[in-house]
Amino acid sequence: MTWSAIRSHGISYLIVGPFAIVLAFPFYWMLTTALKTNGDLYNLANVPFKFTTTRGDPEGQSPTLRHVTFIFHHTQYVRWLENTAFVGAMVVVITLVVAVPAGYALARLSGQLGQSVGVGIFLTYLVPPTLLFLPLSRVISKLGLEDRLWSLVLVYPSFTIPFSGWLLMGFFRTIPVELEDAARIDGCSRLKALWRVIFPISLPGILTVVIFTFSLCVNDFVYAISFISNSTNRTLSVGVPTDLIRGDVFFWQSLMAATLIPSILLALLYNSFLNRFIEGLTGGAFR
Amino acid sequence: MEAAAPSRSRRRWGDLFEERRFLAPALIGPAVLFVGLLVAVPLGLAVYLSFTNATSGSLSGTWVGLDNYIHAWDSSNFRTALENTIIFTLASQALVVVGAAILAHALLRPFRGRWLLRFLIVLPWAAPVALSTIGFLWIFDSQFSVANWTLVHDVMPGGGHLYLYKPANWVLGVIDDLPWVHTGKIDPFNPPQWLGQATLAKLSIIAVQAWRILPFATVIFLAGLASIPPEVEDAARMDGATGLRKFWHVTLPLQLPIAIVALLFGIVFTATDMTVVYILTNGGPFNSTQVLTTWAYQTGIVSSSLGQGAAVSLYLLPALVVVTVLMLRFARKVEIG
Amino acid sequence: MARNDNELERLGLTGGLTRREVVRRGLGGFVILYSGALAKTAAAGVPKFRNKELKNTLKIIQWSHFVPAYDTWFDNVYTKKWGAKNDTDVSVDHIALALLPARAKAEVAARSGHDIFGHLSPQAGLEDNVINHKEIIQEVQRHLGPVGKVGNKSCYNPKTKKWHGFPENFVPDPVHYRRDLFHQVGVKSPNTWHDVLNAAPKLKAIGHPVGIGMSNELDSNMALIALMQCYGGFIQDAHAHVTINSKGTREALAFMRSLFKKGMTSEVFAWTAASNNQGYLTGRLSLALNAISIVRSAELQDPTLAKNTALLPIPKGPNRRLGLEHVMGVYTIWNFTSKPQQKLAKKFIADLEINYAAAFHHSEFYNFPAFPKAVYGYQKQLGEDHHPPKGKYRILDTIARKYTANIGFPGYSNAAIDEIFNTFLIPQMFAQVAQDKMTPAEAAKSAEHDMKAIFAKWRKLGKI
Repeated sequence: MTWSAIRSHGISYLIVGPFAIVLAFPFYWMLTTALKTNGDLYNLANVPFKFTTTRGDPEGQSPTLRHVTFIFHHTQYVRWLENTAFVGAMVVVITLVVAVPAGYALARLSGQLGQSVGVGIFLTYLVPPTLLFLPLSRVISKLGLEDRLWSLVLVYPSFTIPFSGWLLMGFFRTIPVELEDAARIDGCSRLKALWRVIFPISLPGILTVVIFTFSLCVNDFVYAISFISNSTNRTLSVGVPTDLIRGDVFFWQSLMAATLIPSILLALLYNSFLNRFIEGLTGGAFR
Repeated sequence: MEAAAPSRSRRRWGDLFEERRFLAPALIGPAVLFVGLLVAVPLGLAVYLSFTNATSGSLSGTWVGLDNYIHAWDSSNFRTALENTIIFTLASQALVVVGAAILAHALLRPFRGRWLLRFLIVLPWAAPVALSTIGFLWIFDSQFSVANWTLVHDVMPGGGHLYLYKPANWVLGVIDDLPWVHTGKIDPFNPPQWLGQATLAKLSIIAVQAWRILPFATVIFLAGLASIPPEVEDAARMDGATGLRKFWHVTLPLQLPIAIVALLFGIVFTATDMTVVYILTNGGPFNSTQVLTTWAYQTGIVSSSLGQGAAVSLYLLPALVVVTVLMLRFARKVEIG
Repeated sequence: MARNDNELERLGLTGGLTRREVVRRGLGGFVILYSGALAKTAAAGVPKFRNKELKNTLKIIQWSHFVPAYDTWFDNVYTKKWGAKNDTDVSVDHIALALLPARAKAEVAARSGHDIFGHLSPQAGLEDNVINHKEIIQEVQRHLGPVGKVGNKSCYNPKTKKWHGFPENFVPDPVHYRRDLFHQVGVKSPNTWHDVLNAAPKLKAIGHPVGIGMSNELDSNMALIALMQCYGGFIQDAHAHVTINSKGTREALAFMRSLFKKGMTSEVFAWTAASNNQGYLTGRLSLALNAISIVRSAELQDPTLAKNTALLPIPKGPNRRLGLEHVMGVYTIWNFTSKPQQKLAKKFIADLEINYAAAFHHSEFYNFPAFPKAVYGYQKQLGEDHHPPKGKYRILDTIARKYTANIGFPGYSNAAIDEIFNTFLIPQMFAQVAQDKMTPAEAAKSAEHDMKAIFAKWRKLGKI
């Protein structure tokens, strides 16, 4: 390695390192907290960065896994993870089915009007869900979807489609029309050209939409508490605070563990696809 | 091609789809229908409710005109909430845009360990926001705050007598001498209450909002940087543009649209978010950190004044719409123009 | 998307083959696991009809009780037994207490939901959406005699002559204090607010401040309104006129300011509902106002601390000694629920109240019945609790009978009171004074302005 390479790498570490520490610190702290006994956690004399076992602690040694295993044995945590994954996956499918054709049409077929409709759809994103959940719960009950995961599957696309349509619109614009024309000269219909030629090129954009949609679904809180009340059908964001905060007692260690597990799983997933995600955004938002 | 001999009726349908004026609506239709039914109709209803005296969850009431909007304005807590919404959004997004710009440039080139560092940076984006905010509630806890522990305890192992609050107080002392700020100093026996003092609580909320949005903004920046053709940089170098001149005439104009897109998402995510404030402070202390969404929730949902709550939550919508349209136009100006 | 590899390389968008391989394998495993989970969830999403042999169903929603054993008993024992007797499949959903209002409003908007909704505060704001619960009250009164005054004032609207909820239980709100620490500083007990103020500086000096919250949360709201009452400050009078801007309120504000400065730390502004529990349980706080959840947790975690903890009624003020219910368990039945379901729900509620002894026992004396005669000989039960110091729970009886008022006392818990409570105007007023942002007179005046607007709004709606 040359001196300049070392220097430029060093600068990268110097810049990225502190950011990474600040951004990841809460997760390090969650991990530390999750493994402590009550006696260790609630003792102001202890150094919080270390594990200290007090003699006669009814929970024994610190660190301990008892508060982590608690969420698996005494709550339906695994079920909530599955539910979140299920809703996320279904919403991704619906979003793609609706947003890909719409994005394509907005990009190719409707000119200036398309631009306006695109912006209009994007704007619906600005409406705060604080109150929208009231009218929507009427819709859900009319459809008989109360307390079913399908209610969330139906409602979430209302905020995933706007972004996805807008992004895909930008993305499809970057694809030269000539490619399509060539396919159509070969005898493909427009739909078939879309499926055979455009779709494969657009995979990065689609992947971006998939990840973005999924992350929005995981984050929702308001709709999930309004539409689902039984414990088996809860999603993570609602199940965890409901069962791990009892009245005025917080089960801190279990709360931290319950947050850490999905965060790490999802971060691994997002990070693995991050290059494709960026590629998709590049096409969609900036071209 | 095998599709060359379809049945007569199929061909007719096929032809229909070849027609632009049928194909376009057919493709856009589902999206418009979905968004229209699940957002526009409820939104219309919310607007209607804000002009009525509807209570609790009933979706109708007597028409009262602008009463709710006037009453809302009359409450000093509402004005605080409006102000906070704007301050929190702008301040956190300023942090985010600057941070993301720096971080994205540093992450652009490959280096050893980048994957791991990127994983750590992506974490806040991956965590469900309701849960990660509970994590911050613990970090800022009134008694067990790790931040406070670190400030007031000897952080050097083996009694090196390094107390972080001492240098912090020195800095605060310097700041305190400025004419328009009064910070006070850290008292090790009564450490700062991150969620209990109005100014600190506001700063904490801004920090958490910035923390959770920074990763996504960084990703947007990375994408934006990828979209800048390398020729532009090369051309600038050929022209001999260096230093400040290059920054002003080449780098900045190229980064601006990226910053706008990042800012757009940041604003939308922060201004319409309720979770962070609701979990961290629930609007306290003395309702000094309420934002429009939490104030609307407290009045409209928890206290049953639905009409008033609707008015509160809709106050900022027109401004947001204008900002968004302008930014969207600007972000894609190159292409539209 | 024609982008050459060089460009990708420049952006770092391509990685080494080995790493990619690793990632791909990892992801493969992830995808397999994930699709397995999906299939299972999808299959489970199909509604199952359990207990088909039972004729009726009854759906209840209520909070996750502070005492987990109460939920276990209620969900798995009591409701099952009642269900068998009444040919009904009873299902109970639980929800965090802070989320109850949103859920209730969503059910009203949907015009469908649970047959019985258990709230934790009086729900005057829901009056138009619930049945008149008078019938259940009368039925229970036939067995148990008159409803207690707290329940009456919380759930009845004298203006519309409607019972907008059924008062199931209330939770007394005692003072928890450390006997050892008070002894150490030479104050016998926090019998009056004057005693508290007296002891506070000494307690703080030995590292054990007093803990009364001034934050946007339930415990602060309760403690501060109770303190106001002791000083003769009331939000409204018996006829629902705003009386907040009174000498009593100003005195209470001034008292709290000096108590804060002498005997507390600024942590009280940052508290959540859990903080006073935590603070007391770590041994830091010398005094806290809360339901018995604090001492119950201490008995589990730290028996020595529990032994040193005593309970008392709220300290006496210059005006009187009068606390508040800590939470008020109110059951409501929606008016859009079908008539047969309403009938079943009414029966369930009445049966539960008439046979409240078991509920009282399983809540570990947390829930007190809203009908004073519902639990025969409960004083004896309180006295027999085996946790040392023995007999400490006996005082709860006195507190419940003599020193517990409804929110909005001396008036009824109406919709305006509800809104004032939920927008935290009282803690706001106290915190502003304690932090020297306002004088007591200014804070009381500003609160009066906001409260009058809220009362005017609900009066216009014909609810007050």
